[in-house]
Amino acid sequence: MVGQGTARRRRASRLHPVRLAVLTILCLALSGVAGVAAYFFPVVVAGVGQTGQTVVVPPVNILGVKTTPKPAASPGAPFTVLLLGSDDDGKNKSPLTQSMILVRVEPASKHVTMLSIPRDLWVPLSTGGSAKIDAAYAYGGASAAIATVERNFHVHIDEYAWVGLTGLIKLIDQLGGIDLFVTNPVLDDFYPDDIGGGDLYGYKRVAVLPGAQHLDGASALQYVRSRHNDVNGDFGRSARQQQVLLAIKAKASTLNAADLPDIVNALSGRFKTSMGLDRVRSLLSVASAFDLANVNQVVLYVPNFSSYGQISGQSVLLPHWSQILAVTRANFP
Amino acid sequence: MILRRLAALLFVPLMVAFGSGVYLYLGTLKSKVVKERPQLPTVTKPKFILPGTMFVVQDGRLFKLNAGSFTEIGRAGDWSQPALTPDHKRLVAVLRAGASSDLYLLDLNGQVVKRLTKDDSKILDANHWAYYPRVSPDGASLFYSFDSPKLRSNAPGVDLSVWSMPLNGAQSQARRWTDPYWYTGGDVSPIPLAGGAILYVRHSIDNSTAVHAQIFYQSRPLSVGKPLTSAADDCSQPALSPDGTQVAMVCSHGKQTASLEIAPFNGSALGPASVVLEGGLYASPAWSPDGKALAYLAPAGAAGHFQLWYLALPQPAPSPTATSSPSVAASPGSTPRPTSRPTPTPAPAAPVQVTQGVDLTATSPPAWF
Repeated sequence: MVGQGTARRRRASRLHPVRLAVLTILCLALSGVAGVAAYFFPVVVAGVGQTGQTVVVPPVNILGVKTTPKPAASPGAPFTVLLLGSDDDGKNKSPLTQSMILVRVEPASKHVTMLSIPRDLWVPLSTGGSAKIDAAYAYGGASAAIATVERNFHVHIDEYAWVGLTGLIKLIDQLGGIDLFVTNPVLDDFYPDDIGGGDLYGYKRVAVLPGAQHLDGASALQYVRSRHNDVNGDFGRSARQQQVLLAIKAKASTLNAADLPDIVNALSGRFKTSMGLDRVRSLLSVASAFDLANVNQVVLYVPNFSSYGQISGQSVLLPHWSQILAVTRANFP
Repeated sequence: MILRRLAALLFVPLMVAFGSGVYLYLGTLKSKVVKERPQLPTVTKPKFILPGTMFVVQDGRLFKLNAGSFTEIGRAGDWSQPALTPDHKRLVAVLRAGASSDLYLLDLNGQVVKRLTKDDSKILDANHWAYYPRVSPDGASLFYSFDSPKLRSNAPGVDLSVWSMPLNGAQSQARRWTDPYWYTGGDVSPIPLAGGAILYVRHSIDNSTAVHAQIFYQSRPLSVGKPLTSAADDCSQPALSPDGTQVAMVCSHGKQTASLEIAPFNGSALGPASVVLEGGLYASPAWSPDGKALAYLAPAGAAGHFQLWYLALPQPAPSPTATSSPSVAASPGSTPRPTSRPTPTPAPAAPVQVTQGVDLTATSPPAWF
C-alpha cells in the first residue's frame, strides 16, 4: 500500500509535458507583461496624476447663448481645447497665463483652427470683477480660465491642457528640437532670466536669428516668449507661439507608443490636462494625419479686434466684441 | 523533488531576463526623433566630396571640410558665421559670449589673429550683438550687422543696422549704413559689392501686420535703399556668385517653407528669379568656387537636423538684365516689382546630401573657396 501511494505521488508530482509547456509560457508571458508594465509605468503614473484633471465650470447664460455644459464630445466629433502656458518658476504662487490658445480639432475633416487670445485683453472674469484675461488662471486655476473664455468668447471648451515653461523646453528637447522658419530677427534686451537657476526677477539678452533652423527647447522658448522688440507686440508673440505649436505637432506626429515614457518623464509635473489617456492617444493619432494646409491660424490683431487702452494704470487691450465674436462664431461653432 | 525545485529556481532568472528583454526591446522601438542625436562632423564621413575647402559651424564649433574630411578648428567657444577674406587667407567669424557677440579675425586654422570688436558690457542693455560679417571685395572694409543705436523709451528697441569698419582699423571708425525698420529685428546679411555699394536684407511690416524680408541695394551710408525683391516674396539670405552676376536667395513667400531661387544681377538690380528648389526648409546658400553649384543647409530625415547639401546648377544663367527699375520708395507697405515672378528654368540636377547625422548651424552660411 505504501509503495503504491508513493508511486501515485511521484506520478502526480511529475508534470505532464503539455502542462509544463503551458506553465512555462504563462510564466514568460507574465514576466513579459511585467516588462511592459515597468516600461509604461511612468505613463500610468502620469495618466493618474496629470491627465483627466477634473474641472468644474459653472454653467451660465450670456445673451441667450448657453455656453456650458454641452454633452461630452463623442469619439470622432469636433472638440475644442484651451491650451494654457505659464511660467512655473515659483515667482508667482498663482502664475498668469502667458499664452492662451483655443484649438478646435475636427477629426473627420482633419481641420484645425487655432485662435490666440491676447493676454492683455480686458474682460470680466468668471471669479468676479474685470482684469486682463491672463489673470483668470491665477485667480481660479483652469476652471476659471475656461469659464472666463467660455463666457466672453461664447464658445464651449471640451478640454484644457496646461504646460509650464520648463515643460515646453523639456518636451521640445525630448523631441530632439524643432524646425522653424524664423521670418525676422527676434532680439530682446529684457528677456526674463528665470529659467535654469537664473535670477527670478533678472533679465538677459537673447537673439534668435532669421531663417530656417533647428531650435532646441531653450531657444524655442526664447522665440515664443520674447516680446519686447516685436513690432506686433504680444500679437507677434502669439503668432510665434502658434508657429512653434505646429512645429511640435509636426515632430510629434512621428512619435509612437514606445516614446511615451520619455515624453511623460520630460513633462513630469509640468503638464496638466483634463483629457484622459484615451483622448490624448486619439489626439496624437489625429495629429499625425493633419496637413499644415488644413490649419487655420487666427490672431486677434489691433485695430480690428481690439484697441490699446489704460485701466488703473495698466496697459490693456479693449476688446471689440462684435468683431471677435464674429470670428469665434465662424471658427468655433 | 529537489531537481524540480532547482528547475523552478533556475526559471526565475529566466523570467527576469525575459521581462528585462521585453523592457529593453520596447526601448528600441522608440522613434528616430527621440533616439537620434547629432554627431560631431569629425566623426562622420561626408557622402560626397566637395571641391575646394569649406567652413561650417555646429553647436558653436568651427569645422573645416576639405577633401571629404572634417577637421575642427579654433578654440572652444560659441562661434558662428565664418566669412572668408577675398584672398582666402583669413576668416572673420562671430564669437558669442553671453549677452554680446564680437567679430574676430582668424587664420584658416581658427587661431585668433585679432579681435575686431568689443561689444560686451557689465550693464546688460549696453551689450551689443555683431553678426553677419562680410569683407569687401578689396579686403579693406568689414561689413556687419550691429544693434546700434538702440531706442531708449518705454518700449526699448534693439534692432540690427548694417555697419562697416576698416578691417585693419578700430571699431571706433565704424559707420552706420542703414536705418532699420524699428522693432522688426532690423537689417541683416550685408554683401559688399565691388563698386562700394551693398546688398542687404531689410525687415519691415505691412498694413496687415505681416513682417517681410526684402533684399535691398544701397549705394552709400545712410542713403535710401532700393528694394530688389518684393515684400510678398520674402526673400533673404542672399549669396553673390563668384563672378558677381547672380544672386542665390531663400524666398519664403510668407509661408513656413521656402524656395531656393537664383536671379541674375547686373550690379544694382536683379533680373527674373528662377526657382531651383521649393517646398523645403532651405537655409544659407553658398556658391561653389567656380560658380557652377550651390551648397545649402536643409534638414534631412525625421529628426530635422540640418545637413549640408550640394546642388549642381544646369548652366550659367543668361546675362543679367533687370526687367524693370525698382522703385526708390522703401516704405514698409510698398511692394516694388523689380523682378518678375520666379520662372521655371531647366531643372538642375537633384540635390546631393553631403553630410549625414550632423546638425549644422543653419544660420551660419558655409564659407567656401
